[in-house]
Formats: sequence, C-alpha cells, structure tokens
Amino acid sequence: MINLSGVCKDYFSEIDHRRIRVLSDITFKLARGEKIALLGRNGAGKSTLIRLISGIELPTTGTIERTMSVSWPVGLFGGIGPSMTGNDNIRLIARLYNRRFEEVRDYVEDFAQLGKFLSEPVKTYSAGMRSRLNFGLSLAIDFDCFLIDEVVAAGDQRFQRRAQEELFEKRANGSLILASHVPEIIRAHCSRAVVLHRGRAKEFEDLELALAIYNDL
Amino acid sequence: MTAAFRGLYRDFGVQRSVIAALMQREFVLRWGRRNLGFAWLFAEPLVFAIPVIAVWSMVRAPFEHGLPMTAFVWTGYMPLLLFRHITAGALHCIRGNATLLYHRRVTPLDICMGRLGLEALGNLASVFLSFVVFYMLGFIDWPHDYTIFLLGFVYTAWWSVAIALILAALSERWELVLHIWAPIGYLYIWFSGFFFLGEWLPLKVRSIALMIDPPFHCYEMVRGGLFGPRIQSFYDLWYLTYLLVILTLIGLWLMQYVRTHLELE
Repeated sequence: MINLSGVCKDYFSEIDHRRIRVLSDITFKLARGEKIALLGRNGAGKSTLIRLISGIELPTTGTIERTMSVSWPVGLFGGIGPSMTGNDNIRLIARLYNRRFEEVRDYVEDFAQLGKFLSEPVKTYSAGMRSRLNFGLSLAIDFDCFLIDEVVAAGDQRFQRRAQEELFEKRANGSLILASHVPEIIRAHCSRAVVLHRGRAKEFEDLELALAIYNDL
Repeated sequence: MTAAFRGLYRDFGVQRSVIAALMQREFVLRWGRRNLGFAWLFAEPLVFAIPVIAVWSMVRAPFEHGLPMTAFVWTGYMPLLLFRHITAGALHCIRGNATLLYHRRVTPLDICMGRLGLEALGNLASVFLSFVVFYMLGFIDWPHDYTIFLLGFVYTAWWSVAIALILAALSERWELVLHIWAPIGYLYIWFSGFFFLGEWLPLKVRSIALMIDPPFHCYEMVRGGLFGPRIQSFYDLWYLTYLLVILTLIGLWLMQYVRTHLELE
C-alpha cells in the first residue's frame, strides 16, 4: 500500500525570490494491485508527485507511507545515465539492486529489443529506445509498484503490447501509477484516476468521468 | 543492541556496494572507452607532473639547502596534484550526477565518494608510479622511512577528500563557492608547504602553521619520510588526525542537507 496524507511540495523560485507551492494537500491511497492514472496538464505537478511517491524527493509537509517496493520514476529523463552505454546502465542498475548482470541484461534485451544499440551511449537513442530501456530495466528489477511517467506513449505498438502483457498478465498483483495524456493508453492500463489541477488532486473511481474532466481543464 | 549493530553493519555493507558500483561506473565513464583506457588513470597526472618538475629542476640549482632539487619539487608537486584533482572533482559533482539519485539507495554522499574515492585512488597510484619512474632515473633516493612517507600521502588524500566533501556540499547550495575556490586554489600553493620546510620557518610562524594548517603536517611527513635526518621535520600525527576527523564530520554533516536544496530533472 502507498498512503499519501496531506502532502505539500514547495519550490523556491529564483526569479520571484519566493516559495511556490507546486502541490498542496494531496491525500490518496493506492492498494496492492491497483492501477491508477495521473491526469493533468503540463506543469500540473504529475512528475513532481511521482518523484515524491518514489521517495527520491521529500515532501515539504505531509507524509508518504510505503508498504511495498516502489520503482524509480520511469520516464525519459533520470534513472539512466545518458553518457553511459545501455550495457553500462544495465550493469550499474543490476549492481545497485543486487541482481545478476546477465539476468537483467537477458530480460532487457528481450523486452527492449535494442540489439547492438546496447553498446552505444544512451544519448544517441531515440525517445522510444530510451523509454524501452528504462521501462525494461524497472521491470527486470521487479517492483511491487511501477511509477511510469509518460514513457509508454513514446513506444511503438509492439512495445505497448509488451507493456500491457508484463503489467497485467504477468503481474496481476502489481501496482501502477501512470502519468499520461493519451486516453487510449490510460483506458488500457488503469482502473481509476487522480486528476491534478493547480496543485490540488481529486480522485475519481470513474475513469471516463476523470478523462472528461481532464479534457475540459 | 546487537540488532541495532547488525542493522548498522548491513547499512554499511549496502553503502559499500553502492559506492563500489558508482566507482566502477565513474571508471568506465572516464577511462573505459578511450584509446589507452585505464592506463590514463596513471598516465594523466604524470603528463602533468613530469614537464613541470623537469622545468623546475632546470631553472634552479641542483641542490638547495642541501636537498636535491628534483626530489624537493616532486614532494611539493605530487601532494598539490592530489589535492587539486580531488577537490576539482567535487565542485557540482552531485548535480552533475543527479540522475543517479533516481535510485533510492544512492545518496549524495555515495555519489561524492564514488567520484572522490576513484580520484584519490587514481592519483595515489600515479604518485607511486611516478615515484618509481623518478627513483629508477636516479632523481629520488629510496625513502628513509617509507611508512611516514606513505602515510604523508595517505593523509594528504584524506585531507583533500575532507575538503572536497565540504566543497561538494556547499557548491550545490551557493554558486559563489565556485568563484572563490579558484583563487583559494592558487593561494593554497603558498600556505600548504609546497615551497618550504618547517625548519626554514621562524618558530612563531611554525607553531601557528602546526596549529591551523593540516597540509603543512602532510608535507612534513612526506619530506621527513623521504629525506630522513637530512632535514628536521615537524608534524603531529595525532593532532592532524584529530583535525581531519573534525573536517570530515563537518563534510558529512553538510552532506545531509544537500538533498533538500537539490532539484532533480
């Protein structure tokens, strides 16, 4: 379970010289096996919320409890080193999470289908390739809850099918928080939604209602 | 009590394996994919040091104050390189590697220790490699007391890492640190002990130096160990250890607050 209660996050603005509240009083729960969508316009705070949930940034006030293992935020940036090759990234992450390099590499090779590009620096990858590598790595480490920030949309049809298969058929009991702007992807992966607007969050049991409201924001 | 101890031991084990992984990564990033690869670890500082020492030895008399010039410059220059390289690696080293913080096990301190540890080991290795080169060429004699000689370099590395930790933490918070560090880096040459021996200093200056100048102790150890009774060396190993423990603790304490000021991508 992940339990957020009264979570606020402020950043200091260099231009205005004052604190700006990015998220205010966010409270919601995610049970094991639940898959929720995070909706909101650009700059609504989706990525910030995902970073807080993953634990790599701390909330200004409020608490976040985690009773299951949570992935790093899987997005286009962060988590993987752009100047390192795909293989070097696999090696580093395998060591950081106490997994065998060969195991992780075999899984990522199969999932991401990057072939010889694994020996090239990640900065030469396309957005889709980067997403596949990052997503593949987090699946290989195998968390209870995956935090996915937009990357599914960057992948092609085959990748989206594989993602669906891994997250639902193989990990029915796995949790997911998915930030995306693409309604098809959200409908395919999530059962309910949290809509972020002006730093506040609202939970919706009805996915279609959430999508409709998000459309009108 | 034992449970707490075991927990601490396990945490320590985790940090060690994380730092080892980061050092390996740093190693590959810096030297892994280039022509000479890992030979650069040793060669890089030598490329720097050999011309400088050669020119110095040419423009000055072969013996000064009864000491061989090359050996004197070598013992001045190598600790300086050690300090410069280790501290240079610290500035903004956390934000430069912020992407690693996406993995919760990695702390800002781990990132620093990965970078600084590799820098320290690489530079110490090159110190000893260049010692072998200069020894075989006949410019430097075998150290009179090699324990103190080695310890002098190890303490120089420790001093550099302690300062580097403080710099790493402060540079994330204040840009100003980058600007004031450049002139301090130059002034360091004058007060560190590069150019002088303790026995050349007036008694009063020397006692002040011993009180507030850790690198002065390090230089005295390196030179005392190398030249033996040809010079009178002044250092206090326990006092130096005490100063460095305090500096290290300040660095670790500052490192705790880095995360609150760090903005991730």
